[in-house]
Amino acid sequence: MLRGEQGAAVQEAIRFQVEVGRFFGAEGFVRITNAHVMGDIEVMGDGGFGFLERIAGEGAKCRVATDSNARCMHFDDVACLKPDAKEEAKERRVVQILRDMRVATTDTCINYQTVYQPKLGEHVAWGDTGTVIYANSVFGARTNYEGGFSSFAAALTGRTPAYGFHLDAPRRGSIAVRLEATMRDVADWGAIGRIVGHPNQDYFAVPVIDGAKAMPLSDELKHLGASLASYGSMAMYHLVGVTPEAPTAAEAFGGRAPVSRMTITDADIENVYRSYRYAEGAKNVVVFSGPQLSIFEMQELAGRFAGRKVAPGMHVFVTTNHAIHSDASRLGYLRTLEEAGVTVLQGVCFYILQRLTEIRAENGWVNLVSNSAKLVNTITAHRFNTVLRRTADCVDIACTGVLR
Amino acid sequence: MKEGFSPRYDLNRVTGVITRIGHSAEGESIKDRILVIPTTKGGVAGGWAFNDLLHKGIAPKALVFGKLNPVMVQGAVLAKLPITEGWTRNALEDIRTGQRIRVDPAARTITVF
Repeated sequence: MLRGEQGAAVQEAIRFQVEVGRFFGAEGFVRITNAHVMGDIEVMGDGGFGFLERIAGEGAKCRVATDSNARCMHFDDVACLKPDAKEEAKERRVVQILRDMRVATTDTCINYQTVYQPKLGEHVAWGDTGTVIYANSVFGARTNYEGGFSSFAAALTGRTPAYGFHLDAPRRGSIAVRLEATMRDVADWGAIGRIVGHPNQDYFAVPVIDGAKAMPLSDELKHLGASLASYGSMAMYHLVGVTPEAPTAAEAFGGRAPVSRMTITDADIENVYRSYRYAEGAKNVVVFSGPQLSIFEMQELAGRFAGRKVAPGMHVFVTTNHAIHSDASRLGYLRTLEEAGVTVLQGVCFYILQRLTEIRAENGWVNLVSNSAKLVNTITAHRFNTVLRRTADCVDIACTGVLR
Repeated sequence: MKEGFSPRYDLNRVTGVITRIGHSAEGESIKDRILVIPTTKGGVAGGWAFNDLLHKGIAPKALVFGKLNPVMVQGAVLAKLPITEGWTRNALEDIRTGQRIRVDPAARTITVF
């Protein structure tokens, strides 16, 4: 590969991987079975667009099964979310380039729920933080954050440098978290992510959470992981008695002494909700996104919005992937949501929407209320005032217009 | 900056100005600056973002991290930006905004002029 006998794109990919691997002192490569690539015009810009076009022109093809992360545009006609026409044309071209490179453009940040579930010990190269932490923690699969060209490079070479979470040692727990709180909503799990992640920002910190009273659902672990990754830049957690590398706390720590200990009570979770302040504003949004919703989240939301209407001055957005959008349509959930005045977007995630700063200003939106702890953290560069609330509260706020 | 940094959460990637409300470097441009950053937040955006900033002519000169995640390295390698990790002294006390510094990643030194 390094000599270029497999083409210029593969050569460039392996050179890139050698350089990254060298930074982390990797002693070699591991073969991967699956890649998840993130390439949208909002984050890659013209520089990345030109780069991708060039390597595709050199004949770049994924040699392992590869899918794509959520896009920055929905391509549906939603008047209040108009992208730039020029950027939209580029985004469509990006999708075509990915397909030419043999990427299955699923446009999803919940590939672990709908596309591919790697097994214990399976090495993959996933390019979205929420997917990475789910793979490492819940499946016991092995991946680092593979951002930008990194996941493409892995898809092209079928391998990735062996550092970080591909190795045994970094997977051992480092922070002991005693969970005393009773968990009532996905937002509570997200709140834990903020409580643990924010004061411990460290990619190599691995919280071991002990004390879950009931078996957490996939959607709950999705929100926990997405939030830990967002606030703490973390790539793995253990949930004792739940996740595969943590049958016991002792096994999760693997002999490593915890560097810190914390306890999370009901009061700590309530304090997270209390920490948000509404700003003065007549127009506001409630957003269910980040990560995209599963079919069961769509079902739950349809049930909560059934027979209600979104209040004047409020906009409500839901994002999911194409597969779940199609199922939700067939099952009637979409119709229920749309009758209530909810806008459902497919193949996107809300916080990565192209020209979101301008969209917010054009619509005069001030507060963004969400049940996603990740979303209320990631969207802040666009100057929304963000508020985390439980799912039922979000629906009530959406339908009454009362910010509480 | 006194806190974690993510090109997605904190930065307006059109202007190169840090726009997150309440960020310790809110209002500062990153263009042609050496960014001294204690930790990372998020996020895979950095993988593409530094290359994009370079293309737009608003990239920083170098990245000096206390602790980083692989995305910052992946992004810096793509954009050919010098990047370092690990401080033997607290760089946030030794270096102030606006000072001229030289970073030598190979020698693992920072010189303050």
